[in-house]
Amino acid sequence: MPQYQQQASWRLEGGGQIIDLETAIKDGILGGGGGGLPAGKDGTLGATAEKLDLKKMIEELDSAAPEDVPSVFICPISLEPMVDPVTLCTGQTYERANILKWFSLGHLTCPTTMQELWDDAVTPNRTLHQLINAWFSQRYLLLKKRSEDVQGRAAELVQSLKKVKGQARVQALKDLQKIVVAHTSVKKTVADSGGVSLLSSLLGPFTSHAVGSEVIAILVNLCLDSDAKTSLMQPARISLVVDMLNEGTIDTKINCTRFIEMLMEEKSFRWEVVSSLSLLVALLRLVKDKRHPNGMAAGLSLLKAICSHEQVRSLIVSVGAVPQLVELLPNLSPECSEPALHILDDLSTAPEGLSALKDCPQTIPNAVRLLMRVSEACTQYALSILWAVCKLAPDECASLAVEAGLAAKLLLVIQSGCSPELKQRAAELLKLCSLNYTTTLFISKCKLTRTIQ
Amino acid sequence: MISMLYFVVESMGSFCSRQQPLNEVDSDENKQAAEIDKRIDRETKAEQHIHKLLLLGAGESGKSTIFKQIRLLFQTGFDEAELRSYTSVIHANVYQTIKILYDGAKELAENEPNSLKYVVRTDNKEIGENLSEIGSRMESPCLTKEIAKEIATLWNDTAIQETYSHGNILQVPDCAQYFMENLERFSEVNYIPTKEDVLHARVRTTGVVEIQFSPVGESRKSGEVYRLYDVGGQRNERRKWIHLFEGVTSVIFCAAISEYDQMLFEDDTKNRMMETKELFEWVLKQSCFEKSSFMLFLNKFDIFEKKVHRVPLNVCEWFKDYQPMGSGKQEVEHAYEFVKKKFEELYFQNSKPDCVDRAFKIYRTTALDQKLVKKTFKLVDETLRRRNLIEAGLL
Repeated sequence: MPQYQQQASWRLEGGGQIIDLETAIKDGILGGGGGGLPAGKDGTLGATAEKLDLKKMIEELDSAAPEDVPSVFICPISLEPMVDPVTLCTGQTYERANILKWFSLGHLTCPTTMQELWDDAVTPNRTLHQLINAWFSQRYLLLKKRSEDVQGRAAELVQSLKKVKGQARVQALKDLQKIVVAHTSVKKTVADSGGVSLLSSLLGPFTSHAVGSEVIAILVNLCLDSDAKTSLMQPARISLVVDMLNEGTIDTKINCTRFIEMLMEEKSFRWEVVSSLSLLVALLRLVKDKRHPNGMAAGLSLLKAICSHEQVRSLIVSVGAVPQLVELLPNLSPECSEPALHILDDLSTAPEGLSALKDCPQTIPNAVRLLMRVSEACTQYALSILWAVCKLAPDECASLAVEAGLAAKLLLVIQSGCSPELKQRAAELLKLCSLNYTTTLFISKCKLTRTIQ
Repeated sequence: MISMLYFVVESMGSFCSRQQPLNEVDSDENKQAAEIDKRIDRETKAEQHIHKLLLLGAGESGKSTIFKQIRLLFQTGFDEAELRSYTSVIHANVYQTIKILYDGAKELAENEPNSLKYVVRTDNKEIGENLSEIGSRMESPCLTKEIAKEIATLWNDTAIQETYSHGNILQVPDCAQYFMENLERFSEVNYIPTKEDVLHARVRTTGVVEIQFSPVGESRKSGEVYRLYDVGGQRNERRKWIHLFEGVTSVIFCAAISEYDQMLFEDDTKNRMMETKELFEWVLKQSCFEKSSFMLFLNKFDIFEKKVHRVPLNVCEWFKDYQPMGSGKQEVEHAYEFVKKKFEELYFQNSKPDCVDRAFKIYRTTALDQKLVKKTFKLVDETLRRRNLIEAGLL
């Protein structure tokens, strides 16, 4: 039978051959230590304890290292590995729960052979059970060992970071980053072995770019607790991150943006932390870099988060964000249009922002173009911007807007399935814009036929 | 270039056809000219690989100290002859310092409301007058043990100590304490200044000094070659010679942040920080630095640290909107961040939009601390190397 041949090909530690199952379970596959299996004194496991652990092992292995389970371990009814295999008088084996269910439905036949059962006894197939257990246990142990290896390596790296300097430090950081990204279990190890505070301590006013960029690449993948985030918000550390945002590779820049966003989620966050001109200038540069769309998206996301703090808005306007963002609008992907418009909308609430919007000649045409084009949120922001600008200088802007085709778009909004508030806004804006026109002229601007009006 | 081409063409002719050139007499001259041209070519190419750094800043901002530190770190340092040459400078500095303090005490005693605390003890007055006279001479005498003792006595006078702690309106040099504390050593017969002494020594820089060096990294590769220029800091005709530094790789602007309550040497009605602010603005606007990186060294942090607790930042007009938040180390950091933001603001206000791509970094320095200067320079080196790679499209 196939499974016995397979048994012979199992590799035991030390390369020994299996003499019998008892020995195999005692010495080799289910040897003491690791795997978390409660082994009895003679190496056999208690029946119920076995079942629970077996179930757990099957589940974990299924998700972590899916491998083809030998067909004879599979229940013909559920097609799942059997945890409690029982054999019928026909010699076929099934999962106990499943075959009992089969019987309870009134069938007294063997599901696979279709034979009528002359004996309704179900016999636990201990041999098969032990084989299944052994097979899964071995793989489970291997999995655990591998993951522990990785965790051990991570802990090792964290320890080494306490001592090494220079190029060795950079290499250790690079290695740690690779492991953290590849194995989620390592994140906890790093946190537990004091890795987070160690990594934070590596960031200071004299940290080189090489070290700093690797540290951020790791921290951005970890779950940082409140204290860690607060300590990372120190001005000297933020300055370092801003420098890297200015000078790093695109990946470093994206990591820095995500890092700052992470810090901003913290309760103790104060807006002064991000009120740095260098940061805003660096972000704008990132946002405008068309060669790297994911950089643009990351930059816009952070800028949006910063913009939500009204005290920083005038600073953002002072670095020329408004015209630069407005000019970007036509070429942005849909995912980027929304944050960009959101930022401009937030900036319009600041007087400097509003006048910058008004002064920029592309604001109105670009905003009008985006109405009803991307998403309801985009339409809402674009409408809000247009409303603010037209209210500020109705004479100038309203006509510009109408020339850009605003009226037709507003009618679309009103007729669409958008929210009532949005429609209301659109109607008000339409009214505002129509004030300077005669009815006939305005209707022609709306490109509508008389019947629809 | 033209004569080189001629040379090449000529020699091609002689190789191919083996004909004698018509003007055989000139061939030697041509060879020489060609050699010279080749040399010029090589050196121009080599020159392009040398990164030029220009130290700028107001007087006493620490430029020359940084310059000396670089010499100590990356060149062979000072040899004994050079160290000896500083002996007279240091002695002169000592006399100058004590003179300023004594004269200053007299002035404060006359003009300040609590004048009594500036009145020197009667038995020290004679010493004071004597020293003041010596200090005003062009050539200072050697510092003997006797004079050193007298200076020490005067220094310990409470009036002088009081004057020292209010030294901001006088021109007391920052290293006054260092000089006074080392009097005994300075007055030794065989005194040879240490590196530390030389770093503290004050000589006003005139003209331009330059050094060429290669920062040796841990990999021991020779790496980049730098040439550092130090120009005088006082208010002379800057605009006339600044354009000679067009296209330097980087401007290292030194600003002594501890001088927010001090007045200029050249004009004691002008606040030093305001002068620095104006100078920085001026430098930023110069078109010759459009492509240069700007490294701002906020210097004399050690003095700043201590001063912040005693003297509020608001005494300087530029910092009048400063609001202290706490005390201790946090306050120092808060104050430093405030000053840094002010400089940042100034930078962006005065940089044209197309200069936005030039590198701008701020470093906190204490020029007298060799370890710090080394660390700082490592960072500057890294930034400039990265810049190079980015510009070459390799990063």
